[in-house]
Amino acid sequence: MVKHTVKLTPNYLEVNGKRVAEAVAGESFLTKLYRLYNMEYPKFFKMDVLCKVGFVASEVLLGTEGGERFVPRSDRAVLLFNRHSSLHADNTFQRTIANPDEFYPSPSVFVYTLPNIVTGEIAIRNKYQGESSFILLPEKSEEAMDQAVARAFMDRETTSVLTGWVEAVSETEYEALLDLRLKT
Amino acid sequence: MELTEELKTKMIEALNLEEMTPADIDDNAPLFGDEGLGLDSIDVLELIVLLERNYGIKIADPKQGKEIFASVRTMADYVAANRTK
Amino acid sequence: MIIRKIAENIVSPLGFTTEENFASVMAGHTALRRYDSLWDLPFPCFVSLIPDERLDAEFETQVPCSTSTVYTKFEKCVLLSATKALKQCELDAASDRVVFILSSTKGNVTLLSDENPDIERVTPAHTAQLVARHFHNPNTPITVSNACISGLCAQIEAYRCLMSGQYDAAVVIGADVLSPFIVAGFQSLKALSDEQCRPFSANRKGLNLGEAAATVVYSVDDDAADGWRMLAGAVRNDANHISGPSRTGEGSYQALTAVIRDSGLSTNDLACLNVHGTSTMYNDEMESIAINRAALNAVPVNAMKGYYGHTLGAAGILETLLTMRALEDGIVPGTRGFDELGVSMPVKVSSQSVDTDKHTFVKLLSGFGGCNAAAAFTNPNLK
Repeated sequence: MVKHTVKLTPNYLEVNGKRVAEAVAGESFLTKLYRLYNMEYPKFFKMDVLCKVGFVASEVLLGTEGGERFVPRSDRAVLLFNRHSSLHADNTFQRTIANPDEFYPSPSVFVYTLPNIVTGEIAIRNKYQGESSFILLPEKSEEAMDQAVARAFMDRETTSVLTGWVEAVSETEYEALLDLRLKT
Repeated sequence: MELTEELKTKMIEALNLEEMTPADIDDNAPLFGDEGLGLDSIDVLELIVLLERNYGIKIADPKQGKEIFASVRTMADYVAANRTK
Repeated sequence: MIIRKIAENIVSPLGFTTEENFASVMAGHTALRRYDSLWDLPFPCFVSLIPDERLDAEFETQVPCSTSTVYTKFEKCVLLSATKALKQCELDAASDRVVFILSSTKGNVTLLSDENPDIERVTPAHTAQLVARHFHNPNTPITVSNACISGLCAQIEAYRCLMSGQYDAAVVIGADVLSPFIVAGFQSLKALSDEQCRPFSANRKGLNLGEAAATVVYSVDDDAADGWRMLAGAVRNDANHISGPSRTGEGSYQALTAVIRDSGLSTNDLACLNVHGTSTMYNDEMESIAINRAALNAVPVNAMKGYYGHTLGAAGILETLLTMRALEDGIVPGTRGFDELGVSMPVKVSSQSVDTDKHTFVKLLSGFGGCNAAAAFTNPNLK
């Protein structure tokens, strides 16, 4: 059962199908939303764009859910999907090693060169100690994602799943379609 | 520019301390831990890269990092003493 | 419902079949060695690489495919391993009752260093599709990319796929190949040792990297009285830090506990705990804490990374297959590289092989992103 949904693109934010914010030219939409929703999490600024997108979308989603937050729990899984993995961070890291005369591999960029880090950031922020995973699909497929979520509920302890498509190939090309699903 | 000023500017950029300006960082304030800037182990590694890239200083063991990067002041002292660039 | 392993393969620096790999491990071999400037990297490293000549030769003779395509090393490893595994069973890989699952952390990331990188080919999802199409399989392949625990996650995913009734068999391939990207990355984290890694040892200095491809085929087989099967699997997040493990081993402990509970096992049932054992100061310490918290400190612990290095997306499958093979001979392989215990909580690690008459084990892994996975495997009627 789908409880809430969030859609985040470089142009707008929708919550449960209703448009709640729009991007304005010349400013970072993600930073604007970070401040608008009082997320108060300085680590946000260290994140790569995939993590920022996933973080902002999940913050809005979980704020919509309401209730007590930041209490450790093991019954909520975080399962996210995309096609391009951590491509943007990969490109950024590649640039730090591309020139043998300016060879300075960046540790803070390298840690983001895995797609599941975004599930880790969400888990850390929310103290979700349940299952976390990331699945890559050749293309966005509702059917494939629904089936994977159904499989996630096979873990006896899992009563809800924070799930959806989180893709960010560059700072200006990204999309998050997240929802919160409860076990039926 | 004074070395401490220079280090603060570079740190803010390297560590994505977006909401800070050099004026916000006290020379002697602890960089790590909850009372400080709240830097972590990845930040230490990134500061090690910063020192090599800008000042030609190589630090092989991240454990030395805790002393060198205790504050902007200790960092500046270390850089002044060891820089090759 | 009985789901069991019906076929397998390992393509690694220590051999291109499970048998070859097992013989090498039993002989105490490793292909881990020092390179002073591998790929012109400005630092020495200690890694284990799949030999290119042998890979190319076997790929050419064993994998029927288009000669006009130039396959990457990663693609060759994946295709070759899957091909060799499928030859061991009668499975019709083109059936819609079969699903392909790939486990990889970085796939074709080396392509990013090309002049004009083929962006679409970089993602492991592309390789998964390549493999599925190669075997004429009509289903959407699943690619698990959950850092270093991917290999166990992919097996858990396979089990769930089969238990759901949607499929009758799953071909699970775990693979990663090394590159300047990966080696420089781990070096920047100061996680690497430039010598043989020493799991759980007092003088451990870090991990060694390695590459491999390993395939396991699981099938529904209600008549099977024997064969390796997964009893339970669990994935849990530390919710602590994106690259450092929890100091209390929270996620590992929770995954271990869930698996012991769900499989109904007791300490006495276990031949061994095959752990992550990367030889970093933090990982091995954390695992020793998790093992003790889960009251499993009396169970023999062994780690494979002293033979192969850390094979990333392949590790969960490679290390599981070798443990299975070893237990078929009543052996818990020694932890190569171990010398003197150097973790704060007691764990039973030995550099020498130990005999066992038990046929159940638990595999444990941890990965960046704070994730941890555990799975219990058993083979009834093993003699």
